[in-house]
Amino acid sequence: MAVLTVQNLSKTFNLGTARESRVLDDISFEVKGQTFVSIVGPSGCGKSTLLNIISGVEEHTSGDISLTSDAGGPARMGYVFQDPRLLPWRSVMQNMMYVQDDQSPATVSRAKEYLDMVGLAKNADFFPGQLSGGMQQRVGIARAFAVEPDLLLMDEPFSHLDAITARGLREQLQDIWAQSKKTVVFVTHDVVEAVELSDRIIVLQPGGLIYEDITIDLPRPRRQTDKNVATLQAEVLARLEKLKAMSVAEPVA
Amino acid sequence: MTDQMVVGAAPAAPTGPADDREADARRTARFRRWRRNALLALGWVAIYLVWEFGSWWFGSRLLPRPHEVFASAVEIVESGNFVTDFSASVLKTFAGFGVAAAVGAPIGYLMGRYNYWRAFFHDGVTIAGTIPAIVYAVMSLIVFGLSNFGPILAVALVSAPYVALNVAEGIRGVDRQLITMSEAFGRTPAQIRRQVLIPTIVPFVFAAIRMCFAVAWKVEALTEVFGGRNGVGFQIRTEYQLYDISAVLAWTVLFIAFMLVIERLVLAKAEARLLSWRPEERGAAL
Amino acid sequence: MTTMQRSAVTKRRSTTEIEQSTPEWQKRLTSETAARVTALLAFVVIWVVMSWLFSRVPGPVEVGERLVDEFSRGEVFGNFGMTLYRFFIGVGLATVVGIAVGVVMGLSQLSRAFLESPVLVGLSIPAIIWSFLTVMWFGFGDMSPIITTFLTAVPFVVINVAQGVRGVSRDLRDMSETYNVPFGRRVRHLVLPAVTGYVAAGVRFAIIMGWNGVLLAEWFGGGGGVGYRARFWYDANRYGGFAAWVVLFVGFIVILDRFVLDRAIQRSFRWRDSR
Repeated sequence: MAVLTVQNLSKTFNLGTARESRVLDDISFEVKGQTFVSIVGPSGCGKSTLLNIISGVEEHTSGDISLTSDAGGPARMGYVFQDPRLLPWRSVMQNMMYVQDDQSPATVSRAKEYLDMVGLAKNADFFPGQLSGGMQQRVGIARAFAVEPDLLLMDEPFSHLDAITARGLREQLQDIWAQSKKTVVFVTHDVVEAVELSDRIIVLQPGGLIYEDITIDLPRPRRQTDKNVATLQAEVLARLEKLKAMSVAEPVA
Repeated sequence: MTDQMVVGAAPAAPTGPADDREADARRTARFRRWRRNALLALGWVAIYLVWEFGSWWFGSRLLPRPHEVFASAVEIVESGNFVTDFSASVLKTFAGFGVAAAVGAPIGYLMGRYNYWRAFFHDGVTIAGTIPAIVYAVMSLIVFGLSNFGPILAVALVSAPYVALNVAEGIRGVDRQLITMSEAFGRTPAQIRRQVLIPTIVPFVFAAIRMCFAVAWKVEALTEVFGGRNGVGFQIRTEYQLYDISAVLAWTVLFIAFMLVIERLVLAKAEARLLSWRPEERGAAL
Repeated sequence: MTTMQRSAVTKRRSTTEIEQSTPEWQKRLTSETAARVTALLAFVVIWVVMSWLFSRVPGPVEVGERLVDEFSRGEVFGNFGMTLYRFFIGVGLATVVGIAVGVVMGLSQLSRAFLESPVLVGLSIPAIIWSFLTVMWFGFGDMSPIITTFLTAVPFVVINVAQGVRGVSRDLRDMSETYNVPFGRRVRHLVLPAVTGYVAAGVRFAIIMGWNGVLLAEWFGGGGGVGYRARFWYDANRYGGFAAWVVLFVGFIVILDRFVLDRAIQRSFRWRDSR
């Protein structure tokens, strides 16, 4: 059953005097429950805007979005951003609890569980300023999983980290996902990363159209060193060769 | 810690010269500190000399010499008069401050948060901030006559625009990303206010309070000079009317010293404690 | 299909929908121009209410009459000119001296240590003490307001300029060092742009303090000027006359601030806002 349905979604930005910039152009797709879907595309193709619209942070110009929640009531969402976005004046644990609706002991222990899964159980009382960038991002990931979201959105969560830290975190993310089976929409510009993580890749092209919708059928857990993963990565990259020309020809603000 | 640094810097060097170098560094540091303190002291000596020179130039009747002022300050302290007047002045300053914060902070919040209220208050607040203190002092006297409310109102009128502008600036400088984060996780406006906005503006409110405090107590004293029944300003006026200039200066010096102590100790301590999450404040809070 | 019954579907409105559902009158009432007009009206209403509540507070009409009176007696321009003359000399001197001392203080650690206490003391001496003293020292002429203005304003210029000079980024200085940028160009493109904004901010603060100083000295001095005239009405218990001078004076300050200072500050901080 579809958790997220996007129908004929468009977004235009007003650039003043009768100039408009179309970021998303009549996009439709569905995301099924318990799948990991990546949205890939060159920078400026509207991936992050799409994610912001799904989360409700940004408004869309026309079209329909609906979210389905299993438990009834409004759908719960988790969000992992490019940067950690932790409240610097609250401790790690307080940051975890800030986004929780109920503050019961059960929720506290769940938050602790996820913090433990990313290996930061010992740092619960630290201020974010006392942690490294990679550790802060791990708190961000734990925070998003800990709200037990119907839909978990991730916006290039590893792009600001160094290659080695990012690789470690990707593996950690796969493990957590395997345990929790949340529905994930993951935005990235990195096709290689998308192939490693996802069940399905939606490729956007500049101008905000869907270019291709690829299903990735590989056994998990996948590792970057895995031969099958590498082959498939090369294959997908080859299929997207034409996109390169497009993004060079059409610079998008 | 120092050992590690030395080893890291010159792993092959024998220990003897390293110790020497360390002692050298310590000696230069001590010398620098000593030189700084000496210059600070020299600054005070310069003030003293300028004062002495002024008394010689104008004559000690028009500008009493430092030791005369010191003598009358001692007299004031010994007579015990100063306690009631000081506490009256300080209480009025803080009362005015309380009013300014209670009125200015919400206005600043509205200005920072909504374009409508920004347009509504902006002109008035900036104009209010440029009006000279003497206007406020006299205006407060016209409204309240000779009463304790005059100085309180004057302090409030002078401080409120600063508080409002600083809070507005703080709110507008709030990390938009933290707000989007909160919205993405479905936090209510009340939660965002408590957890994101208020912690952001605390440093700005403190900056405003510290900046205002320096101006506020002067305005308080000024209003008392014009029409107070007690307080430091009242004493200054009385002595001035008696042409006892050294008493005027003695009251002033005592008041300045007292207010600087409050500013440095009380406000700075409170600030360090409230902002302990900031790495640079953490040391100061302990 | 059992899950469908339990599950809830959330739909979100698009901007076109929201835009269409807001009525025209509501948009007009919440515009920024409307806000400014409302603020002005609110101010007048509060003033009128205050003048009803406190019998000593003159209402807008009375103040207007006094203003016309003062103009017809020919008291306005002479006194205003006198105050402006004293004020500009005082603030001008404070700016020149303040920039010189501020640059010295910002450039060297040693001069900072030496000047720290005098500046601190200068900042904390109330303007009224200066006006008391200068009136005794120099009598009732121009000298007392000029010196009071200068002495109250100068520390503010000093600390602002010193802060600006110190704030010239170390990184940029190192960068200029590696590229061997000649000294003249370095001052013009690195130090001056970084400092002018602070100078402007310091001068603005100095001007606010300076007004206070000049008015106080005139109030106690009695050698003519805005402060003297305002006191004349205040002592005569004719608060309308006092308020008329406040209106005149504040109007002048606002115009000066808006059209001269604001422009200057915006120009010198241009690079910062364009981010």
